[in-house]
Amino acid sequence: MQVRSANLIAVFLLLAAWLVDARAADGLPVEKSSEQVKFEFFEARIRPALIEHCFECHASDTEASGGLLLDSKSGWVVGGDSGAAISPGDPQTSLLYEALTYNKPDLQMPPDGKLPVEVVDAFRQWIADGALDPREADSPVERQQVGMRVEEAQNHWAYRKLQSPAIANGGDTKNVAPIDDFVQRKLDEQGLPASDTADSRTLVRRLYFDLTGLPPSSELERDCAKPELSDENAYEELVDRLLDSPRFGERFARNWMDVVRYGDSITLRGFVLREAWRYRDYLIQAYNEDRAFDKMIREQIAGDLLHSDDLHERQMQLVATAFLAIGNTNLEQQDKSQLEMDYVDEQLEVIGRAFLGQTIGCARCHDHKFDPIPTSDYYALAGVLRSSVALEHENVSKWIEQPLPLAEDEEERYESLRSQIVSIDERIATLDRIANKKLAKNVRAIPVEELAGVVVDSRQAKLVGKWMESQHVGRFVGDGYFHDENAEKGAKTATFEPAELTPGQYRVRLAYAAGENRASNTKVRIFSADGETLVQVDQRIQPPEEAVWVSLGEFRFEKDGQAFVLVTNDDSDGHVIVDAIQFLPIGKDTIPVPNQLNSDPIKAGLAQKEVDQEVVNELASLRFVRNEVEKDLSARPRYMTIVENDSPSDCAIRVRGDVHNTGDVVPRGFLSAVDLGTQIKIPEGSSGRLELAQWLNHPSNPLTARVYANRIWYWLMGQGLVSTVNQFGTTGTPPSHPELLDWLANELIQSGWSTKHLVRTIVMSDAYKRRITNPTDDQQRLDPTNRFYWRGHSRRLTAESLRDSMLVVSGELDLEVGGSLIPTSIKDDFNFKHVSTRRSIYQPVFRNSLPELFDAFDFADASISVGERSRSTVSSQALVLLNHPWVSQRARAAAKRYQGLELSGDPQGLIHRIFGDCLHREPTETETAESLRYLSQSPDEDRLELFIQSIFASLDFRYLD
Amino acid sequence: MTSFQPNRRSVLTQSACGFGSLAAAAMMSPRSSLGNTVIEGKTAKVKRIIFLFMQGGVSQVDSFDYKPILAKHDGQTMPFDDARQLAKTGKRTEHRLMKSPWSFKQYGECGRWVSELFPETARHVDDLCFLHGMHTEGVAHGPATLFLHCGSTNFVRPSFGSWVFYGLGTENSDLPGFVSIAPSIGNGGPRNYGSAFLPPKFQGTRIGSADGGDLAIDSLIRTDVSIEHRREQFDFLQSLNQSQILRRQTTDTELEAALQSYDLAWRMQKVAPEVIDLTTESAETQSMYGLDDPVTRNYGQRCLLARRMCEAGVRFIQVNYGDNSANPAWDQHSNLPKHADHARAVDKPIAALLHDLKQRGLLDDTIVWWGSEFGRTPYAQQNGTGRDHNPVGFTVWVAGGGFKPGYAHGELDEFGFRGIRGRVHMHDLHATLLHQLGLDHKELTFEHAGRNFRLTDVYGQVVREILS
Repeated sequence: MQVRSANLIAVFLLLAAWLVDARAADGLPVEKSSEQVKFEFFEARIRPALIEHCFECHASDTEASGGLLLDSKSGWVVGGDSGAAISPGDPQTSLLYEALTYNKPDLQMPPDGKLPVEVVDAFRQWIADGALDPREADSPVERQQVGMRVEEAQNHWAYRKLQSPAIANGGDTKNVAPIDDFVQRKLDEQGLPASDTADSRTLVRRLYFDLTGLPPSSELERDCAKPELSDENAYEELVDRLLDSPRFGERFARNWMDVVRYGDSITLRGFVLREAWRYRDYLIQAYNEDRAFDKMIREQIAGDLLHSDDLHERQMQLVATAFLAIGNTNLEQQDKSQLEMDYVDEQLEVIGRAFLGQTIGCARCHDHKFDPIPTSDYYALAGVLRSSVALEHENVSKWIEQPLPLAEDEEERYESLRSQIVSIDERIATLDRIANKKLAKNVRAIPVEELAGVVVDSRQAKLVGKWMESQHVGRFVGDGYFHDENAEKGAKTATFEPAELTPGQYRVRLAYAAGENRASNTKVRIFSADGETLVQVDQRIQPPEEAVWVSLGEFRFEKDGQAFVLVTNDDSDGHVIVDAIQFLPIGKDTIPVPNQLNSDPIKAGLAQKEVDQEVVNELASLRFVRNEVEKDLSARPRYMTIVENDSPSDCAIRVRGDVHNTGDVVPRGFLSAVDLGTQIKIPEGSSGRLELAQWLNHPSNPLTARVYANRIWYWLMGQGLVSTVNQFGTTGTPPSHPELLDWLANELIQSGWSTKHLVRTIVMSDAYKRRITNPTDDQQRLDPTNRFYWRGHSRRLTAESLRDSMLVVSGELDLEVGGSLIPTSIKDDFNFKHVSTRRSIYQPVFRNSLPELFDAFDFADASISVGERSRSTVSSQALVLLNHPWVSQRARAAAKRYQGLELSGDPQGLIHRIFGDCLHREPTETETAESLRYLSQSPDEDRLELFIQSIFASLDFRYLD
Repeated sequence: MTSFQPNRRSVLTQSACGFGSLAAAAMMSPRSSLGNTVIEGKTAKVKRIIFLFMQGGVSQVDSFDYKPILAKHDGQTMPFDDARQLAKTGKRTEHRLMKSPWSFKQYGECGRWVSELFPETARHVDDLCFLHGMHTEGVAHGPATLFLHCGSTNFVRPSFGSWVFYGLGTENSDLPGFVSIAPSIGNGGPRNYGSAFLPPKFQGTRIGSADGGDLAIDSLIRTDVSIEHRREQFDFLQSLNQSQILRRQTTDTELEAALQSYDLAWRMQKVAPEVIDLTTESAETQSMYGLDDPVTRNYGQRCLLARRMCEAGVRFIQVNYGDNSANPAWDQHSNLPKHADHARAVDKPIAALLHDLKQRGLLDDTIVWWGSEFGRTPYAQQNGTGRDHNPVGFTVWVAGGGFKPGYAHGELDEFGFRGIRGRVHMHDLHATLLHQLGLDHKELTFEHAGRNFRLTDVYGQVVREILS
């Protein structure tokens, strides 16, 4: 529509211009004013070009690419993200013109190709003449914020202060729990009758899975499933026992791990996060000891900045910061500024969702479309996180691990190991100098055949440019070495590519003859399966290994993958020496040094009595010892974390999220929509992370307590009071029971942020204990989704509980607590086989190889904060239960176990026993009959296995009632 | 803009079992949620898509984009905005041009130039529509591969196939609607056929793996138990399930759905192995796909399976050629001549697939899409004999599915580095492919975390010039 009306105006103006011409033709003494000429020029040359080439993306009915509108004058005056598009009178400084000229690679318009020269010229002329533009905007062009403004935040329930709702009926009548009071009020309002309490058996099973993630053990179940359980005391006792069980922490840690996107590896390249498990164990312990949740927030955001004299507490604080470091980030992003901002974005996303129920990430490129989060808030928070270092950059960047503080004696032990290495290195250097004293040429030459691994001598290297062969100094491999004559820097290369290299891990070493005139910065690039690595070698100093070799590092080479070493003389400050490259396979016990010395020329040169046998022997043993010490030292516990930046700084807004397009710098801070009634100031010289934690925890921050209380409700009740548990913004669902939500949030705060207190309060309520019933017509009509909790919510086993339950039945479940199940031998997480029978929570969450059953049964996506898991019912689940070898192995183990019970003479007893262990109830008559018939068809262990597997696959095993 | 209401969505998630279609379910309601995704008032004629993924980055100037000037200036250094250097340093750098080791010839009525790497595919140029001005995001494999599949270099987003499955459902409820044949576990691995925040049923089903071996679906069947015993077990299980539903005395759609999912799984166990079984194909067909030659056997099997999946009504079939390494398949940084090995492995099977689809009349309603995550530079990497990644200019071709046959769109500069005309961004290609399937990329959305997401984010333009 815009275009059409513009055309009409164009026609009209052309007509006007023609009238002017006509008058002139009449001989009237009217000269076209310069204004008129410019009008004509605009209409004839500029407007059509704009319509044809620019409006597709830069008109007000389009997405206004780059924020720029070109269908009105105000559009280009205001300009887009990069500022005004045109400086009238000056084409050279006008971005629009610059884009049309295609001179800059990153600013070229239109994107399909440069416009014809005459069109570009017309724009130049038009701008030079002052860019006269008669068009007015149909609608005001100033950047509209479509979402809620910060000043309006109080209009949205979630940003309002926590209320202290009155409990109407509580107290005066009989002992009604406040929760039931709030729930009942809503039911009364809706005229909904509630269903009654479920039977004991159902409740026991429900409690067990909700609080521990495990099925009730048989004896316990027999104890508790007695009718007395309707007696409050018996129920309460069971609740307390389960809250005290170490299994509680395992269950609740896992709930929280969904929210914090816990993972033990990174998708890209399958890098293993070896130390992430400590954070998992921190959570389990924290939930078991009922650590105050506000403290847990502080520790997860800024534990490194807290203090404690207690070693264990200090470890807890530090380990908790892995929260910020376990994101599934793409570490091989080559644009490191982009990577850093992406990393911060990932952290902000998780912080926002986990603690605040806000989608902060939406404000990265523009003000939040719906919520009162301006871009400036995003970068205020980004400044806080950017003031800590999360990555060490290389071709593939690396996350940060730090040594965990240890008990004094342990610390001392590691300290002494470290100093041992230093003194060993000093001694080796001295001996090397002695060993390498003037030797005759024939002694100095090391035959290639005598070297271990795959050696490419300089004579086999591909030499580009002029290289000189020499044998002048030191020891060398083969017939000599080459140097670049210290000339034509940047033009010479030597490529060492082995003819054949068995795939695997290698230590790669470069041989060179050192000397005063050598380059101190020789650039060596290793091309391996993991990309390209640049190493700088100082060839002025003695090669550290056997006085011949310098190690370039350990690399992985693959079949048909790149495997070569490239030495260049780029920018080198002296002679570049290339002698040989050695690829030493890393096997089980490869300590290359001692064996090699047997054929060492030093030894051969003993005749000359220039080198002492003792020196040789000592060198060999020193290297051996060093290796051992190094191994010991590397066993020191470490934890994942981020570290404070030396100079914390505010962050500039990145226009449209483009990391290279910086706008105004915004002071570090927090969400302005949250009104604490007080300012939390970030002191000079600190990142603001500690203050961020304080801000999140502040009793006047209405989001944090509401969001967490709602999560606990969701974990137990199957549906949040705010059903979008990760989304408390304006596009989330408002609470079904706002007063109850605030009551729970207050209760949480007043109990000292006790998770167990809130859990206990909820499971003690009638609302929790209701039976699942069929809806009456009224219930169906008024509340088909059970939003008001008139009946029990249907529950099904999570992937973890399903797996653990099968292990319980098979008798294989190993209840050991804590620690890492990641073998030291693995390099990546690809095709990892999870063989452990420990609880599911201890299986590594390998993002490329999840444990069996996890994928099929809606395990949380470990890459993003997950509030509610998907709840899918698909045939791939059926296939897994019917055909997956892991399931049939559990069934087989269980069958063996039952055969050992000598119930073979009593099939009915056996059936009762298996139903009891699996479904925690007696079989019905039909089930008994069907089971008997099935088992009698061929009564053997195979049949029993298939029988048990069928029970595993049956609905009552997977779904609670 | 329509989107799924949360309650509606959860109902569908819970009730629509198996591999049914959300869109199909939506159509049963009075007002279709996806009603406005149908373009120009008619249902799209194109029903499915086969994506031949050439992992690692095929060099355009050595395959389908003939740049004779490279031979003339072979060995000369020139400044380029090398994407990797630009990303790392923001500077343009000098590079040595390298000619193609392979000669080019003209083929077909359209006279398209094709290098000797692809002599078989070349015979089909009159059916192919080339996009020579492709560009994309991501300089390294990981980001670029994710971008190709999910439209984002880093964020976790649903894959292309999941979007298509979500939008169109499947034509055969006994089979998965989206399969990825022999996918790599590297460079994003399962994320490249994952459903992210779309309901899990829309994720791709993996068939086989990149390291070769059998083309099989996980847990599809078990062979250690006889079919009779499995049948007996299944009947017993379903009788248990039925009595358990009765015992509860409540009607629960989720339990009903679970019950049905077993029936469906049982049918799938029967149907899917039949589709996967290539031995029922004639010797002539097997040989046409190169199954009798160790060089072409692997990719030939995958292509032949793709055709069978196509006939069986699978919506999105990805046929991968790659491996699990960090420098996958076509990634010739140091040794360009290795391109020839890879070309030999795929050329004949691809030509056979094109021929086979055409002779069976399937090419009209099937899109065949061939391409990599990016292309390669026209200059040598360092001083070696390989080429580096090039996300700013490369070639992709499409065939069938309503694309102009024997056509070429777009052009790179004379050296074959960057597009100068008819540039098509990966977002644009996604938008265009969806358009041909009858889906408007701006309307195919899913609400997640408080906003509507789509494959093309806020970008993408349908490339109308290549539609016939």
